[in-house]
Amino acid sequence: MVGLEHYLGVGAALFVIGVFGLFLNRKNIIILLMSIELMLLSVNINLVAFSTYLGDLVGQVFTLFILTVAAAEAAIGLAILVSFFRNRGTIAVEDVNVMKG
Amino acid sequence: MSVADFAFYILAITTVASGFCTVVSKNPVHSVLWLIASFLGAAGLFVLLGAEFLAMLLIIVYVGAVAVLFLFVVMMLDVDFAELKAGMAQSVPLALLIGVILLLQLGSVIGVWQFSDGAEAARAAITPAIEETHNTMALGQVLYTDYILLFQLAGLILLVAMIGAIVLTLRHRTNVKRQNVVAQMHRDPAQALEMLDVKPGQGL
Amino acid sequence: MMSSDIQIVLPEILLSVYAMAALIGAVYTGKDRLAAPLTWLTALVMALLAVMIAGGEGAREGFNGMVVDDAYARFAKVAILLSAGAVLVVGTEAMARRGLLKFEYPILIALSVVGMMVMVSAGDLIALYMGLELQSLALYVVASLNRDSVKSTEAGMKYFVLGALSSGLMLYGASLVYGYSGTTLFGGIIGAANDGHVGMGLLIGLTFVLSGMAFKVSAVPFHMWTPDVYEGAPTPVTAFFATAPKLAAMGLFARVMFDAFGNAVADWQQIVAFLALLSMFLGAIAAIGQTNIKRLMAYSSISHMGFALLGLAAGTEFGVQAMLIYMAIYLTMNIGTFAFILSMERDGKPVTDIASMKLYSRAEPMKAAAMLILMFSLAGVPPMVGFFGKYAVLNAAVQSGLTWLAVAGVIASVIGAFYYLRIVFFMYFGDEGEGVQTPMAPAAWAALMGSAAIMVLGAINLFGIEGAAAAAAAALVN
Repeated sequence: MVGLEHYLGVGAALFVIGVFGLFLNRKNIIILLMSIELMLLSVNINLVAFSTYLGDLVGQVFTLFILTVAAAEAAIGLAILVSFFRNRGTIAVEDVNVMKG
Repeated sequence: MSVADFAFYILAITTVASGFCTVVSKNPVHSVLWLIASFLGAAGLFVLLGAEFLAMLLIIVYVGAVAVLFLFVVMMLDVDFAELKAGMAQSVPLALLIGVILLLQLGSVIGVWQFSDGAEAARAAITPAIEETHNTMALGQVLYTDYILLFQLAGLILLVAMIGAIVLTLRHRTNVKRQNVVAQMHRDPAQALEMLDVKPGQGL
Repeated sequence: MMSSDIQIVLPEILLSVYAMAALIGAVYTGKDRLAAPLTWLTALVMALLAVMIAGGEGAREGFNGMVVDDAYARFAKVAILLSAGAVLVVGTEAMARRGLLKFEYPILIALSVVGMMVMVSAGDLIALYMGLELQSLALYVVASLNRDSVKSTEAGMKYFVLGALSSGLMLYGASLVYGYSGTTLFGGIIGAANDGHVGMGLLIGLTFVLSGMAFKVSAVPFHMWTPDVYEGAPTPVTAFFATAPKLAAMGLFARVMFDAFGNAVADWQQIVAFLALLSMFLGAIAAIGQTNIKRLMAYSSISHMGFALLGLAAGTEFGVQAMLIYMAIYLTMNIGTFAFILSMERDGKPVTDIASMKLYSRAEPMKAAAMLILMFSLAGVPPMVGFFGKYAVLNAAVQSGLTWLAVAGVIASVIGAFYYLRIVFFMYFGDEGEGVQTPMAPAAWAALMGSAAIMVLGAINLFGIEGAAAAAAAALVN
């Protein structure tokens, strides 16, 4: 069985890709939302890996809740996006300055 | 290398590479599809880790609902993505720099992961042996007892999401004719029908 | 699960049951026609719950330590419920005038308050996350409630993207913390960091969790959403953003730092001190150039959060007490100030231009005097109550050896005083301008005058809030 570090590595790589995507697509909200989904996925991989290697179910319960909340979050995000698009006719938000963070 | 190891590397590479393609892809429809691939890879990893229930959930909730919702929105909104992509090139160096720094930092920590001394003792819900119960049952046993409060809170969160989506997007258009089934069923033939005796050579 | 567990979360249960009953009731009957009475009813329910919680005693844990009911949680919950109720009442009329009073508004606010109550009494990383998300999701929706306005939906969009990002950061941190300590319970995490040794995994996790929470309190450098969201959201919603959620986020911040990382104070103290320093200065300096009063209030809130973090950075019981006092005073001042901002209009259209307040004192001497007191108090001019809040946090910082930070705080508050006094100057001495009308509903008028009166009268003994804050701080830091 491969070690815990391997799974954490996958998690870290996905997390970094998510952050990378945020900076790369600062204007394109849809891709921004997908980057955030990737970050949450990386968290889930971390938690499940810890859960297995610790022999503790709490990590999986946490993941279960994150999945639920992330689905709700995506629904709200897309609803706001749709009403924003109705008003503006574009989804480009000027300076959603994630940069300054 | 055992079969499980081989499967891990295949799935890990799929997950990470698809994730990368999601954020760099030129076409948002492709992005969504790459995202789905990434989720599928992660679901495979979950199976390898023995979390079958979560793997199935990931596929049903994410691939089945969330990703399709994304796809739906991408298709529904007629967005000029070429314009949005124009500024992408200049962000690349900075984004790469931040990504590499972050990766190195995280790598230095997780390369040799150490649990705290008390981690074994601190566990709140020890995984039962696979011979006793399977993963789904084990999760159910803690989810509806120890974590019932959070389970109910999750319900509230979904309620908020539902209210939110309705508040923000439902519109009652006044100039659209709607079907009123009850009114239709209660229509009386006596009122709806009128018999006229039309005389020859005359209109109504 | 036993009845004692239910007892602990009874206020949360009652409020959520009320919200669901109100939702169903309103949907099947009057819908938006019921919005105004429903808003008042929600405020009433919140006030009743606040009374109920204030009567609680002792410290209890429920659901295996997942939720905690102690003096600290009660202090924060009472403040959250009262301020949320007050903002609802104050904003009703302004929402109705702009045609935004939908019946979902009070219900979403009530649900977000449930989230805040869970946040401040969380004893577990998962409970923390669920409370935070319940609060945030409801707030994203109310920020874009004016769905036909570009500004409002853009505010919602920005708030959402950055809020989701901060949740992501925080979760990644939480996963590392769980992985290191083997548990999500704060009680277990604090054990993993004992005898002064903090593992690398825990440290990185702590950093991510910290940055996620800094986002929620809008501390610099995670502040950039604040001005845009404050400006874009409908003003009554902005008033809400500036009050209860800030206290909830601050309460959560202190809860996590002391309950989960109380054995690693030295590790987070420096980071929090740094956040406090940047927030105080950026808030004070960036506000100077603002012409829009809502943006100005956003920077003002950033600066105030810096001061509140100053109390937290002290890392002592006294510091937490100072932070709680500061936040309570901040809430009161903001409710009054926003009651005024809500009513600003010209020819029936809302205005948010600071220049429009020129010579306002001639038209409405009473309200101008109330605003004068509130502005002085926000700036921290003695003998207004705002000064005592600043004094408390600065004192706490000095006592724990952060003299340099306290000195910086004094300088920042002097810089910050400039823009509050500029508003006062406009009201009393400016040249002729277009003027502004401020028709106020009785509730808003009462809130403005009441909060101004508290700012003056409170100087005597702070209405005994010090005792409650001290008990709360003692419950948290032990």
